[in-house]
Amino acid sequence: MRISKGGLLVIMAFLTPLIVELRTVLSWFGIRLSVVETGALGLALIGAVLIWALWPSNGGTEAKLA
Amino acid sequence: MAMRNAYIDQFPKEARVIRAILWSSFLALTIGGTLGLIQGLHRTNVLRFIPSQDYYTVLTAHGVLLVITFTIFFLVGIFTWAVTTSLDRGVKDIRFTWGWYAIMMIGTLLVGVSILGGVVDQIPMNADVLYTFYSPFQAHPAFYVGFVLFVVGTWLAGFDWFRTWWAWKKDNPDERIPLPTFMALTTMLFWYLSSIGVAISILAFLLPWSLGIIDSVNPLLTRTLFWFFGHPVVYFWLMPAYMLWYTMLPKLSGGKLFSDPLARVVFVLFLILSTPVGIHHQYLDPGIAEGFKFIAMTNTMFLLLPSLLTAFTVVASMEHGARQRGGKGYLSWLKALPWRDPAFTGMALAGLMFAAGGFSGMINAGLSINYLVHNSWWVVGHFHLTVGTAAALTFMAASYWFIPQLTGKEIWNRSLGLVQVVLWFIGMTFMSNAMHRAGLFGMPRRTAEPQYQGFDFEPAVGTVAEIDAQVALGAALLTLSVYLFITNMVLTTIGGSTSDAIPDNTYAGTLSGPEDAPVIIDNLKLWTSIAVVLVIIAYSLPLASIIDAGGLFGPGIDPWKPSVVADPSLVLESVRGVMP
Ligand code: HEM
Ligand SMILES: [Cu+2]
Repeated sequence: MRISKGGLLVIMAFLTPLIVELRTVLSWFGIRLSVVETGALGLALIGAVLIWALWPSNGGTEAKLA
Repeated sequence: MAMRNAYIDQFPKEARVIRAILWSSFLALTIGGTLGLIQGLHRTNVLRFIPSQDYYTVLTAHGVLLVITFTIFFLVGIFTWAVTTSLDRGVKDIRFTWGWYAIMMIGTLLVGVSILGGVVDQIPMNADVLYTFYSPFQAHPAFYVGFVLFVVGTWLAGFDWFRTWWAWKKDNPDERIPLPTFMALTTMLFWYLSSIGVAISILAFLLPWSLGIIDSVNPLLTRTLFWFFGHPVVYFWLMPAYMLWYTMLPKLSGGKLFSDPLARVVFVLFLILSTPVGIHHQYLDPGIAEGFKFIAMTNTMFLLLPSLLTAFTVVASMEHGARQRGGKGYLSWLKALPWRDPAFTGMALAGLMFAAGGFSGMINAGLSINYLVHNSWWVVGHFHLTVGTAAALTFMAASYWFIPQLTGKEIWNRSLGLVQVVLWFIGMTFMSNAMHRAGLFGMPRRTAEPQYQGFDFEPAVGTVAEIDAQVALGAALLTLSVYLFITNMVLTTIGGSTSDAIPDNTYAGTLSGPEDAPVIIDNLKLWTSIAVVLVIIAYSLPLASIIDAGGLFGPGIDPWKPSVVADPSLVLESVRGVMP
């Protein structure tokens, strides 16, 4: 784990407004996502964050902070 | 037991009153939150539990219970903690403290029962007037009397804190006012100043009118007097949250408050600027000249300053705390913060959402751009971020620290607490974001059935159905969050085990202390006088012209009881009106 469980939970929560508003922002550039597409994109983002967080950190210095 | 030094050990008598007060607050939150879900599902037509005719009864209860009862009870509880803890002395007479709490309770019951009368036939009362009680909406006299009693209770509470401070000052003539007490006192000073407005509005106009002593009122006058009080009341909700961000967040982060003088300046600015801005809620009211509105806007924009100062100071203190805990780097220090602690995480998320609320607030505050969002659901989205999250979520989060202090018991389930505050953040993201966007395409607030016939809203992105789904989802998550909160609090209080491990009752130390603040900052009389002068400048001309144009008691308007059933004579009249 690169961050604490609590930290991970908060990052995931913080992704919610980003994902919700990403749809609006993309529409300015003419990219119109459906709800399902937005959801899929959101899940992909959450997955990416999970992989990053659960990947064993090589240095080990950061893990101590958790 | 020997070494424990929690609030309940230091001030057992005060702890009992504060516990009772906080429970009143939590009860209001639970009922109010449930009603919020009913509204959210009703408006979006997902599920309709009530006939639309009863919508205003529910909405009145939601508004009053949450922004008056829940928030202000929490405030008086937490300010009592702040004053006694920071002066390190109990209140002068605990019976007086119970006394003002009882008055506030009686007021709450009167208001509550009169609102309930809107849906319960056995209660011959009615108060479907929303928490703003604009005339010509008229409530049963009990509603106004209850409201006044509640406010009088807060005045006495303020007196309780002032006299505790006076007694302390006698013993410590050369000391600076401790920061939490300074915050409580400055907040009360603008509260006294501003609640005069609502007191006049009710006692001189609305109550006599509801009793039938006078025939009519001037709606613009009572409305203006309401907002004279109504804007400061938003800072009244916010100041306890600010106090907790300044005095608890740095401590929970593991550090100290960055600057005590800056915190004092912020509270002085709120004392000075809270009241002369109320007209910014009336940008669309006819009968107030644009120039007066412009003055209100200018003052409002100045009010951004203390909030920006707060954002800076609080984040700087958190960074200091994180670095004390071993945090490094430009942003990596964020990882060192105690994210597992629901008290910390809830307050931090509340602060983050407040930033978003601040941005939509700047839109509301602009005289011209306000026309775009006025009375739309945008505004509802805005204040669910401010009072509905910055204040409400901070209060819930802080309870995870305070309830152990007040009961001597460990929180029943801290992980559940963490889930609860995070759930609030997610739920509010959905609900408030959708409300803002609905407002942008013109969806009105305060209506049970916003979908009109022969007219379609045009969202910038997506569909109305998607916006509605987002609101319903958000409302459900928020209500779930409220229930998790109250469950945790109940089980802590009745089931939790008494513990020796409760932390000491302390608040954050400072990196730069009061000795760095010029003595004049503590001159409460000076700042109050300036506040009064600004209020006179901002309000005397508008009030004079409103009275001049509409009369003190109005041009003769009959009370109007909201009802969805068409009055035959009115129908006839409007039919006649469109006939050639
Ligand atoms: C469970 C959480 C909540 C839900 C689901 C919720 C839902 C709603 C909804 C849907 C409305 C809009 C009604 C309309 O415009 O027709 C509303 C209005 C309002 N809410 Fe909430 N709310 C919640 C929590 C809160 C909290 C915590 C506060 C304040 C502390 C708050 C204060 C208000 C106020 C003042 C109004 C406006 C009432 C009026 O227009 O007179 N709400 N709420
Ligand atoms: Cu305001």
